[in-house]
Amino acid sequence: MTEIKIEMKNIGKIFETDDVETHALKDINIVIRAGEYVSIAGPSGCGKSTLLSLLGLLDESTSGSYVIEGHDVSHLSLDEAARIRNEKIGFVFQSFNLIDELSVFDNVALPLQYKKVLPTDEFIKVRVATCLKMVEMSHRADHKPNQLSGGQQQRIAIARALVADPAILLVDEPTGNLDSKSGDTVMAVLAELNKNGTTICMVTHDARYADMANIQLKILDGQIVNDEPLKVAV
Amino acid sequence: MRKFIHQHKQAWASLKKKPGFILTVVMTMGITLGALLCAITLNYLLLVEPLPYPDQERLFVAEHSLIGAEKETQAVSFTYPGLVHLYKSKAAFEQAAIMSYDQDVIVSHSSQPLVNTAYVTPELHQILASPLAMGRMFEASEALDTNNPVAMLSYNTWQQEFEASADILEQKINIRAVSYRIVGVLAEHFVEPELGEEIGRKTQVWLPWDFNQSEEGVRQAFGLINENLKFIGQLKRGVSQSQAQQLLTPLVNDRWKEGVADDDFFNPWSIKMRVRSVKDVIIGDSGSIAVMLLAGVLGLVLIACTNISNLFMSRTAENQRQMAIQAAIGATKKHLFKAMFAETSLLIFMSIILALVLANVGFYIMQEYLGAVLPRVNELSLNLITFSSAVIVTIVFALFFAKLSTRMINYRALNTTLQSSGKGSGLQVSKKTRQVLIASQVALATVLVFANFSLLKEAVKTINAPIGFTTNNISTLILNFSSTDIPSQEEAMPIMAEIMEKLESLPQVESLSQSGSPLDDFRTTGLTNVANNENFTPFFKGVDHRYFNIIEQPLLQGDNFTDVDSRDGNNFMIVNQAFAKQLKADGDVIGMQILSEDPDPFKIIGIVKDIAIPGETAFGSDSVAAGVPRVYVPNRLGGQTFMLKLKQGQSVSRQQLGKLLAEVDSRYSVFSFNAASDLLTQSLFTEITTAVTTAVLASLVFLLAGIGLYGILSYGTQLRRFELGTRMAIGATRKHLLKMIIGDNTVAVLAGFIGSIVLFALAYIGLSGYIQPFLTLQVLPMLVATIVLIILVTLFACYWPLRQYINKPAIFSLSGSD
Repeated sequence: MTEIKIEMKNIGKIFETDDVETHALKDINIVIRAGEYVSIAGPSGCGKSTLLSLLGLLDESTSGSYVIEGHDVSHLSLDEAARIRNEKIGFVFQSFNLIDELSVFDNVALPLQYKKVLPTDEFIKVRVATCLKMVEMSHRADHKPNQLSGGQQQRIAIARALVADPAILLVDEPTGNLDSKSGDTVMAVLAELNKNGTTICMVTHDARYADMANIQLKILDGQIVNDEPLKVAV
Repeated sequence: MRKFIHQHKQAWASLKKKPGFILTVVMTMGITLGALLCAITLNYLLLVEPLPYPDQERLFVAEHSLIGAEKETQAVSFTYPGLVHLYKSKAAFEQAAIMSYDQDVIVSHSSQPLVNTAYVTPELHQILASPLAMGRMFEASEALDTNNPVAMLSYNTWQQEFEASADILEQKINIRAVSYRIVGVLAEHFVEPELGEEIGRKTQVWLPWDFNQSEEGVRQAFGLINENLKFIGQLKRGVSQSQAQQLLTPLVNDRWKEGVADDDFFNPWSIKMRVRSVKDVIIGDSGSIAVMLLAGVLGLVLIACTNISNLFMSRTAENQRQMAIQAAIGATKKHLFKAMFAETSLLIFMSIILALVLANVGFYIMQEYLGAVLPRVNELSLNLITFSSAVIVTIVFALFFAKLSTRMINYRALNTTLQSSGKGSGLQVSKKTRQVLIASQVALATVLVFANFSLLKEAVKTINAPIGFTTNNISTLILNFSSTDIPSQEEAMPIMAEIMEKLESLPQVESLSQSGSPLDDFRTTGLTNVANNENFTPFFKGVDHRYFNIIEQPLLQGDNFTDVDSRDGNNFMIVNQAFAKQLKADGDVIGMQILSEDPDPFKIIGIVKDIAIPGETAFGSDSVAAGVPRVYVPNRLGGQTFMLKLKQGQSVSRQQLGKLLAEVDSRYSVFSFNAASDLLTQSLFTEITTAVTTAVLASLVFLLAGIGLYGILSYGTQLRRFELGTRMAIGATRKHLLKMIIGDNTVAVLAGFIGSIVLFALAYIGLSGYIQPFLTLQVLPMLVATIVLIILVTLFACYWPLRQYINKPAIFSLSGSD
């Protein structure tokens, strides 16, 4: 049995505003193993982005437990959560979220700057170069994000997510802000990464891209509606 | 007009969605513009506005300067006969008046109040064209040598002491056994020219010159000066100021030389007459104080403007979508400017209304607390200058902020705002602008806070400086004698002895001295060292044998006086350390003989420790640092001044004392009864006012700078919300982010400190005369304290706006802000 990267049990999330309680997620149970490519799909407002935020420790669940690579991360302080994100999770945002004032190289190197023990400059150089090569963007290392197309920016974002060698790549609507051609390119990069062993969990509303994952989870009204994976990738 | 109203209605509709913005702008600008209007009105009053007297450009004061042996000015005060001689000569002046300021007790009044009096010749109120509420002013029948006892009251005295009695002109008042018929009451709007040494002194009762309190001996003494004697007049047409001086100097000097011919002490001395405009005399150094106040307030305004500029720019950035919609439906740049101008003019208009209210409050505060520091403050009111300044300021600032905001708008790119997602795109206050705003806030705040701290420190230093004697539980009682039949020393001695006995028997009294307080009873005298004929002008005081003990002034060498010395009038003298050192370098002067106007020399029997009266300088000196030489001689037992040391927690009332005196001799009443601590506080009034003013200004500057820095840094942090969320998402801890924000702003803060150095340099070049005295090593702690405070404020302003992002899960920063 391959190693379990992520395990969520009975996860719930309630948003409270004034006198209104919104149950965004109810009794979510997920297990993601090493090397899997999981897609989470569902209609608008179903809770898929909320689920991804919880998976990425960007938000706190109201109930349930969450374990990453054997570590219980259910109740961490803000700084502890930041450390786990830095070490175990690579996040790719829909709107890329690159920092305009930094070069491509510096954007990709940024997670390494936040490591508990700062790596050497040589290590950073080698690691960034490796990640840029993986996404075929080595030739743009000195450029600024606003000099790149959307697809190129998203590939840089993927490289940034990989640089700290995370346990899992969490991807939030990676093609949401891209044209179809750029979207295809980005999805091809993700597929290649998964082929090479990277564990990926992706939220998407596009059925075409959801089908590229070997495990598809469907969410409706905050609950996972399919108990078993719909398809196993060949 | 309809368009104007419509635009402003729309502006108000837009503004009222942001009550916090309105409050911040109106409060910040209201407070600072209120201070500005106050300072402008004060400066206009002191520097520009003519005095409220007719022909005031011909109104001059003659000053009598005593020039010492080394040709230095020893004092600027008249002698009594010199003043009268000048008045009678009618030289250079078409019309002239002489005045003697004093204080007296209205014995006939039920509460026997002590009032400020002025003994004047009739020309004074004629020259000033003094307006009257009722009655008449002094006439030729009250001129010199007519001895006609009449009186004029000030409006406030009539209101407060005589309850605005309608039959006041039928009443009389009794002062020092003379009954004066009240002939007139000055109008409420009468402005008395402040010619006395005490700024803000207001005469309450005007009396004819003939009845002034100078004793007969003083009226003939060319060797005695009195700073309360004044001369004012209208120069003859065609006679200039310098011509008048040239005319008067020999006239007065020659007569004075004749008068002091028998006194060798004054042989090398002379008199020089100076003629100054009444305005110059009244304003004195206050003009520079007012200018510095204006400079300080302009600094406040600059800081406030920087803050508000930032707020307007942020608002413009927030409103870009609305502007884009307006542009899409046909609004031109001019339309957008007018819309922005409608908003800024509404806000500044509201601010100026608040400013006018606060300026009025400011005038009241200045009249209450700065009346003794700045002249003419009673004339401060909301006037044409205030309102004109308000209008100009409203237009200028409204235009400035509207222009500043609309400069940010790239009109051509507005429509892209409608098409873009809005995340991280479109209108923002550029990083460079934000850095400049931070640097300018830091520079201005550093300069202003440091300047105020330095002034505050000097004031506090003076307030806390040891004075060398105690004022605890000590009060000074001065008696008033209300009879023309003045007793001789021998006649007065048993009366005073009985009064002393009664005072000592009061249960509240611990001890008693028949001497005046060290705070108000010294006069100057000329003394000669018998050994080498060297002349000196120390301060001089008569005391009894209990004086030094009661005020705890230590006797360092030799002996104190005894009661026998006072009784017998022995020619013994005690000197202080400063005078001892003047007499002899090693200060060992016990046994030395000193000559005064008395034919028999004094023998020095003791040396006491120096005392330091705040603000006091030695005769002929401007230095407050140098020790003031003093001599003490035995008081005669007929003296009418006492110091009472009361027991802890005890008090005695003026009424009680009045009753006690009446039991001994009904001719005696209380002239004044003041706690020494109150007198000390009064002497420190300027320093206390400075301390309070600078503390308030420093606090205001700090508050405004803090608000400004917080506003800019908060805005900058807000702009970086998504970046902060992204960094948190990839593993940045709170510490990482705080270090990043502080690091990013460090350059701007350092630039601000460098800017403050430039501002200091410019201030030094422009105002070196004022700044030089403060440039000592002792200002370094103030500078360090200022820098530390500014840094702390900046650190706080970096951290506080960041809290809302870093103390929540990263998703809060990443989710849309719209």
